[in-house]
Amino acid sequence: MTMLFVRLKLRLILGNLRGDLIKQVGFAFSLLSALGCALGGFVLFGLLRLASPDVALNVGIVVFTLFTVGWAVVPLLIFGVDETLDPSRLAPFPLTTRQLAAGMFAASATGPWPLASLAVLAGGVVALAEGVGGVLIGLVAVVLQFALCLVTSRVLTTALSGALRSRRGRDVLAVAAVGVVLLSQLPNLLLNRGLPGDPGALLSSTGEVLRWAPPGLAAHAIADGGLVGVAELVVLGGVVVLLAWLWIVALRRALVMPDASNQGGGTVRRSWIDRFLPQGPLGGVVAKELKYARREPRGRVAWFTAVVVSGIIMFTLSGGDGPVGLFSAAGPACLAALLIGIQACNSFGIDGRSLWMNAVTFSSDRDLRTDLAGRHLAMAVIAVPVLGVISVAAALLAGNAAWAVPAAFTAWGLLGVALGVGAVTSVILPYTLPERLNAFSGAAPGQGALAFGSSSLGFLVTGALALPVVLPVLLGIGWFGLLAVPYGLLVAWAGRKTAGLVGFARLPSILAAVSRAT
Amino acid sequence: MVEAVRTQGLYKRFGQQVAVGSVDLIVPKGSFAGLVGPNGAGKTTTLSMITGLLRPDGGLIEINGHNVWTDPVSVKAHIGVLPEGLRLFERLSGRELLLYSGRLRGIPLEETGRRADELLRVMDLLESQDKLVIDYSTGMRKKIGLAAALLHNPGVLFLDEPFEGVDPVSANTLIDVLRRFTASGSTVIFSSHVMDLVERLCDWVSVMSRGHIVAQGPLAEVRGERTLNEAFLDLVGARGSGDEGLSWLGSSGDPR
Repeated sequence: MTMLFVRLKLRLILGNLRGDLIKQVGFAFSLLSALGCALGGFVLFGLLRLASPDVALNVGIVVFTLFTVGWAVVPLLIFGVDETLDPSRLAPFPLTTRQLAAGMFAASATGPWPLASLAVLAGGVVALAEGVGGVLIGLVAVVLQFALCLVTSRVLTTALSGALRSRRGRDVLAVAAVGVVLLSQLPNLLLNRGLPGDPGALLSSTGEVLRWAPPGLAAHAIADGGLVGVAELVVLGGVVVLLAWLWIVALRRALVMPDASNQGGGTVRRSWIDRFLPQGPLGGVVAKELKYARREPRGRVAWFTAVVVSGIIMFTLSGGDGPVGLFSAAGPACLAALLIGIQACNSFGIDGRSLWMNAVTFSSDRDLRTDLAGRHLAMAVIAVPVLGVISVAAALLAGNAAWAVPAAFTAWGLLGVALGVGAVTSVILPYTLPERLNAFSGAAPGQGALAFGSSSLGFLVTGALALPVVLPVLLGIGWFGLLAVPYGLLVAWAGRKTAGLVGFARLPSILAAVSRAT
Repeated sequence: MVEAVRTQGLYKRFGQQVAVGSVDLIVPKGSFAGLVGPNGAGKTTTLSMITGLLRPDGGLIEINGHNVWTDPVSVKAHIGVLPEGLRLFERLSGRELLLYSGRLRGIPLEETGRRADELLRVMDLLESQDKLVIDYSTGMRKKIGLAAALLHNPGVLFLDEPFEGVDPVSANTLIDVLRRFTASGSTVIFSSHVMDLVERLCDWVSVMSRGHIVAQGPLAEVRGERTLNEAFLDLVGARGSGDEGLSWLGSSGDPR
């Protein structure tokens, strides 16, 4: 029965590749990189042997812990990639919970990346073990640690599978994914700011704490190689068994739980903003876009990312050694404008399959232009105050509040340029945004290159067009910022005009490009 | 006979596969018309081309005498569309979706609100009007989609599989609304593969098979002395026998 699950997993991997060259190339690439990671990771980890035993042990503890955390988090972010992971699909078959658990455990150990993880973990034996006892204990510890990774990931996905299938759960997770990506930047930022001082001290204090967590026990057991190591293995084994038991309980519950995805969510408040917006299609589009920015997780993620990234840049630039003067105020504001504006490079992507509703009403290029104007207006309603706040904050951090004025004007102008360019790329290079957002893909299968082309073209052209007004400000000529806003408005208008003419003629192609199955 | 919809030599190819090969579809004004055919016959492709959402590779399409692709201004304001699948702006509530649809078409906000209230009441959606469409059931989605398609009082309404996955209660509501709509002289064209429903509702039938129209005309003419289902199976040439094999199936075998 367990072998059947392994074969099912292999069959699913192969079936997913059939008849799709891009996926096959992608899989070959993934296979090669897994092999590379396995070998490279094993060798690098093994080389730790050359370091002093204390450092090696602490690094080993941190690596084992990171693997466990990675196994817990990554499958959650890409849940749905693999059908063997969803217990509800297996519920109709006459299997005992024990069979199901053993089978799913074996299935999750199958595949290039799990095996690569096992190889890297095995590097820990080379790095840490002393003598025959250490090697023997080490081999057991690595297997237990691998089992711990798998079981932890299974427990979490199974316990959360109900939530992951519901719309609200997925919405929350999509935004949480950005948080995880940002958190991974945290150590980087801390080290940059030089907060805890010496990295060696940081490592040993981290190792001290993590040493008592189950992955730390595994690493320590390898290094110890004696009776203490055996005792630690017993504890680790106990944790694995406990988690496995929890998993079986969760599995039993998940199989008979009702599918939460069809239960209605709450109601939304009727918006009062609508009454203040212009009549007709323009106001309609603005109202819809404002609601989407708030309710659609992909919209929230994009705004959140733009603001946080600018914040990080702001702190980095003001961190002492960076450039000083107007640049440190206008720089972050302009970057934020660029990051916000780049969202407009694929304006129709977020509408996706519902874009037909607009398309059936477009009877001339003017209608398309109005639609784009509505989108730009909605974006400006949010972005203009946001950029204003970022400019003030950056100016205060840079040490001269007056710099906020040129910074804000330049950023607003840059936003206009980006919107104008985005209108054109939206109609010439539209692509589908996948409904299920994860941190690793921004486009439907096969459209990755298109998405990359669209945003890099957007960046380049925006940069080139904005240079005449932005560069003088960045170099310190503040009054040039006054020119930026009219210039931005002009470019935005020209972009909409061009996009209307080009886009109306190719409306059916745009519709097809943003409605791909994902 | 005044024609609401007329196509001539309508043709569409996807790669090597001809999806729609020279279709001459005719629908008289004021009729309740059914477009029937097995899966893959080209119904959805045909309707997408007629409603201006998919560019044809060849042929002519006229709605009320205006060419859809060369004169969209005269056409688009007068048609309503409910495409296949349930593709709606899912992060709007049902009510917001109707208001959006009305504003896109330039109807004043108060008038849109009034019409939306009535449509929501008739469609029995008042209770869930402030819930997001993404949380709607299939029947509710079809109803809100139809409401959005009717909001601007179109002369011709195109519905792709409007009854697929809809419960009997919701289907009844949809049918009532559509009957009232055609009784006033407006035209409805809907695709379906539920023959009983088409037979019950329609006065005009077009039968498609493998990208061609194989029969077209008033219901009585197309079905003749048979039921529509029998006529359809004869027309598309699919009369299989279910008697061979499967000897293990049924109560005489073991459940293993």
